[in-house]
Amino acid sequence: MSLVAMNVPLPGKLKSQTRRIVLAKVGLDGHDRGIKVVARALRDAGFEVIYPGLWLSPESVVRVVAEEDAGWLGISILSGAHLVLVPRVLELLRQQGLSHVRVVVGGTIPEEDVPALLACGVAKVFGPGSALADIVQYFQSECDDERN
Amino acid sequence: MMSVISPPSDIPPVLGELWQAYSRGERWALARLLTLAGEQDYRAHLYRLLSAVSPSAFVVAITGAPGAGKSTLIGKLILLIREGGQSVAVLACDPRSPRTGGALLGDRIRMPTVPDDTGTYIRSLAAPPGRQGLAENLDLCIALLERFAFDWILVETVGVGQSDVAVRGLVDCLVLLIQPESGDEIQWEKAGLLEVADLVVVSKGDLPGASRTAEQLRQTLNLPGFPAKPVVLISAAKGSGLAELLQQLAEQPRRRHTPEQKRQRLLLLAQEILAERFQEHADLVQRLVEEGQSAGWDDWQIASQLINRLASVPAKCERRTP
Repeated sequence: MSLVAMNVPLPGKLKSQTRRIVLAKVGLDGHDRGIKVVARALRDAGFEVIYPGLWLSPESVVRVVAEEDAGWLGISILSGAHLVLVPRVLELLRQQGLSHVRVVVGGTIPEEDVPALLACGVAKVFGPGSALADIVQYFQSECDDERN
Repeated sequence: MMSVISPPSDIPPVLGELWQAYSRGERWALARLLTLAGEQDYRAHLYRLLSAVSPSAFVVAITGAPGAGKSTLIGKLILLIREGGQSVAVLACDPRSPRTGGALLGDRIRMPTVPDDTGTYIRSLAAPPGRQGLAENLDLCIALLERFAFDWILVETVGVGQSDVAVRGLVDCLVLLIQPESGDEIQWEKAGLLEVADLVVVSKGDLPGASRTAEQLRQTLNLPGFPAKPVVLISAAKGSGLAELLQQLAEQPRRRHTPEQKRQRLLLLAQEILAERFQEHADLVQRLVEEGQSAGWDDWQIASQLINRLASVPAKCERRTP
């Protein structure tokens, strides 16, 4: 099933798909102020943000991404478990033929952990001190590039 | 199960491939087709592919004011329906911004996401302003899920007010959710949504005043000499009234395929097509308006002329495929 999924290309560049973003909290982490602020900013920038709530397992997050046919997954982690949970999510995405979904990680990610996250397939990491405008700008420019 | 029908030859090849995978029951293809249902280039093709779907699902809309408990109720119904061994899909609408086109789709928070359960499917949809709380591609999405063989399809509207009645044309059964203390008896006498709902549910039954609201509704909606309307009091927190509600739902007649419903759906679709063309051909609209004004036409005449001209513009996908 997953192989077939990967073999079928996106018909053209679908604006509606690349502008759908699942923002998720993974694992035992109840700090959701940050992700809600990011969700609001992306909403105001014209994106469709799907927020499925707190305490999701990696399996549930991938299920949401699959059902919603989202082009992006933003994971917010403030629990320190990012080096365990993020690779697990990426592996599940691959297994389910969802390698085209780009993954962005935000939260309390120490500088020294960023290379490991990028190496396992994360597109971008927004650590402490990231400006809201930069986050929005990142998604905007990636989506614009894609359509050109 | 579904029969695999080869798509007509003028369907774009990629859509044809997707259609085959979808017809084999591949969930990822369903997910992608639900996306394509919102794309102007593909919608006319999808209407054609789905035109032969025979009705099999029971389609229920849950509507009501923001915060009445629509998502929570659907979350509970999913569990009950699954316990009964039937499958269920959900289309959850939240508003799209009239300013930016963005949306925050947060209905899933109240609904269970069970990773391995192939008997459920939840999809969030953004509903544009001025569409009575409905996503513009809702009828196509319902048809896609129906052909995928879900037993139940639950449609959650955007939080609505008193007169967003269009959803009735798309579904078998319309459930109106009302929370306690949201009006006195006169509210329940008013025309509109209450009038067209098939079933009225009072939510948050654990709160004070809930029983009184339910009782008032029962009395007002079931006056002697008027058609009876069931009123069910539920509490998602306590789990009470939910089984009774499901039972009541199962007993409702399926009226999605009556000629009247068909007419309502077609009217919605025609309005949608016209609204899209109005936006897509802004230059033509502007020119016609200026021409009309200089010819001394009134607004009625200009609008009629706009309808005539926009109706003859071919749809986007018709222009693309030879």
